[in-house]
Amino acid sequence: MSEPVELTRRFLLKAGSLTAIALATGGIRLQAVAKEDGAEVFTGWVEVNPDNSVNILYPSTEMGQGSETGLPQILADELDADWNQVNIVQLNEDDRRFGNPAFGMVLYTAGSSGVYAYFSILRQAGAHLRDMLRQRAADHWGVSIGSVTTANNTVMHESSGRSMRYGDVVSLPDFASTELTQAVELKTSDEHSLIGRSVPRRDIPAKSTGQALYAIDVRVPDMLYATVLRSPVEGETPASIDEEAARSTAGVVEVITLPDGVAVLATTLHASFAGRAALKVTWTEQSVYRQFSSDSTLASYTDIAASDQTGAAWREVGNVEQSLAAADRVISAMYTSDYAYHAQLEPMAAVAHVDADGKGAEIWAGTQTQSWTTRTATEVLETTPARIRLNMMTMGGGFGRRTELMQNYVRDALLCSRATKKPVKVIWSRTDDLKHGAFRPAAAQHMKAGLGKQGELRGWHHRVATPSVIQYFNPIRWEQVKPKDIISMRGAENKFYDIPHFLAEHVITERHARILPWRGIGAAYTSFAAEGFMDEIAQSVSMDPLAFRKSLMGDNQRGAFLLDQVSKMAGAVALVEGRARGLAFAGYGETQSAGIVEISLDRQSGRIKVHHAWIAIDAGQIVSPDNAHNQIEGGVIWGISAALHERVTLTQGQVDQENFYNYPILRHNEVPPVEVFIAENHEKPTQIGEAGNPMVAPAIANAFFALTGRRIRHMPFTPDSVLDLLA
Amino acid sequence: MISFTLNGETVETDADPAMLLLIFLREELGMTGTKYGCGAAMCGACMVHMGDNATFSCQLPLAAVQGQSIRTIEGLSENNDHPLQKAWIDEQVPQCGYCQSGQIMRAAALLNTNPEPSETEIRSWMSTNLCRCGTYNRIVKAVQRAAEESSS
Repeated sequence: MSEPVELTRRFLLKAGSLTAIALATGGIRLQAVAKEDGAEVFTGWVEVNPDNSVNILYPSTEMGQGSETGLPQILADELDADWNQVNIVQLNEDDRRFGNPAFGMVLYTAGSSGVYAYFSILRQAGAHLRDMLRQRAADHWGVSIGSVTTANNTVMHESSGRSMRYGDVVSLPDFASTELTQAVELKTSDEHSLIGRSVPRRDIPAKSTGQALYAIDVRVPDMLYATVLRSPVEGETPASIDEEAARSTAGVVEVITLPDGVAVLATTLHASFAGRAALKVTWTEQSVYRQFSSDSTLASYTDIAASDQTGAAWREVGNVEQSLAAADRVISAMYTSDYAYHAQLEPMAAVAHVDADGKGAEIWAGTQTQSWTTRTATEVLETTPARIRLNMMTMGGGFGRRTELMQNYVRDALLCSRATKKPVKVIWSRTDDLKHGAFRPAAAQHMKAGLGKQGELRGWHHRVATPSVIQYFNPIRWEQVKPKDIISMRGAENKFYDIPHFLAEHVITERHARILPWRGIGAAYTSFAAEGFMDEIAQSVSMDPLAFRKSLMGDNQRGAFLLDQVSKMAGAVALVEGRARGLAFAGYGETQSAGIVEISLDRQSGRIKVHHAWIAIDAGQIVSPDNAHNQIEGGVIWGISAALHERVTLTQGQVDQENFYNYPILRHNEVPPVEVFIAENHEKPTQIGEAGNPMVAPAIANAFFALTGRRIRHMPFTPDSVLDLLA
Repeated sequence: MISFTLNGETVETDADPAMLLLIFLREELGMTGTKYGCGAAMCGACMVHMGDNATFSCQLPLAAVQGQSIRTIEGLSENNDHPLQKAWIDEQVPQCGYCQSGQIMRAAALLNTNPEPSETEIRSWMSTNLCRCGTYNRIVKAVQRAAEESSS
């Protein structure tokens, strides 16, 4: 049975805006293709060319998640396109007609939202064009649309043996005016030929041969290089600048004062770095951020979490206060976590070439949002979006780092280009990237549970004391969503368990450092607290961690299945003596995942090693199973890295770490086998990219308890903190 | 004047001998397959071959490559068909891809000296190279696949 297509406003767009879309890739333009209700209709998502090739718009940006292949794959499936004839066209402008429905139509690649948010639109667009092709061919042959089928870029009329290539159908007179005589039908699950198939990613050959171009790789003629000496503490500005030595460095052509730094422009990157090293800047000393060190910040957040201060309710069920008051027993625990850095392997970089009148620019950047990169440029140049020409480059990792409303690496390239009237590439060194990074916020979480006489979990109170990430990094969004901050709070909703009285609340603390979304957003620490605490409750009622969690599944059969599944997977492998296993059940958004890890501990050094990880996940319909597997495995590895190693500290407003030697991330020789099970079903697709990591830290902490009888309640679990726990 | 061999061809330059090979390759020659990741020999994104050795081009001033033979990802194979490159595609290794040139160059140096490495040898050898997306296990599989295909 086919589902009827609901043609939404989003899907049917008037042709008046046709000229607005000029796509940069090879001059390809997506055209008007339909007429509906007498008005010309523009889908814009796809066009078939007379040469039988198909252009499909890619509205997101690629940072490794694979949606550059996955999203077009969805449309191509409904279109019955020949995948080998499909060109993928990057959307290089802030055209909200193609915006992300999960983010109010802002062009925004975040929250693992690409597939679930665009799934319906892409299917509709493909199905609509397919039916136009069927209709036009049927009209041409004088047969009914119902007798015409499609496959591989071809329309066929089986009973007469006639067929036409799509390219020939669109070349028939008045194709764009084709009127459908029946409602558009989407395919049923069993009719899908590309959705659910591991189509090789289009970007992988170039990424395996050194040919993929990232923003940091862009070179344009006559380009200058800029490196920026940035203020060591947020809020400080240059008080005095001694440029002489920098300017006399061979190759340096200009020194430019920026809002929060000083740029050294040179004809080579080598000279720019050398000039910057010779630059002497005295900074103002008035910033409030000078008083903040991460230890005292976390201590203050912990005090707040432990106090009776109430916060913004994130999710509330029943009456938790009454349930705790009436409980037979209440247990509580405090969980804390440090700042963490994105460590995307491509440091920030952007190229800008400002037009002669200073009111327009071409920009090459790798960001997670065409909208905010455009906005950065229009704000800096005080101009209109029409004057901004974007080249959205594939990113050397995103993980939330490239989501800001004001992207200061793009801003700096624009300011430097405007001042010199030349194209300028701004490059951050790794140390720039870390010292001037924006982090997963530090957080303190107070957990309270009320238990009934039989040990049943009656009430759950999860208080998160952490700043609002959205308020800082995107004040426009904050005005729309406050006081609910999904970036700070995700995961704390804990909705896969059936707990009768539940409150997760956000006490918004003062921000002491630059903060941004980070892979897993809130779930990267709220799930650590929630699932570590869940184990504590199980222990306190003398129940097996798996059985206890299963007792809380209520109607959640998919969750119960995952718990059994992961337990079966791990159970098939014998536990090595001297090691222990821990379980956690978390997920991300609508995606549920259950994980088990096996660890050992070197009691001399305090070093935890993860030897094996198993994860069972349910993300509904999977578009590209092999890529989903890669993403989930990557998420698990990210989670291990975060749990064991990752910590940014600040002393008097300055980041203490500089590079991978003092901000280690997981290396090859620390990576365990990761066994991934992905549930196969045709439910609504949900998040993948961030669903692997949230359950990892609590699973390790729970394994540590099984091994040592000690609870880890602070992340990361570095050797020094582990030794403290064992002492 | 510094001269060295790059992917089999002679390069002569009067660039500052203190310029790092990485920057020379990327910004002067436009050979951007070799990546800048950390500048501190901590991530391996910049890895090239000097003679038979995999080495960090972010640590090599041009003065140090005088007379040497350097190979980059662009010169690893004639038609981008090195067994490792084919294996990387077959195993669908890359995500963001930024580290992968360095990973492939590192792995190529291993297979040159040890055509049939064990998994432990692969993981140990590859530990100079970071992958933030977490493709490590696929990298191991791809190296094993390339080793098998090269030996068969």
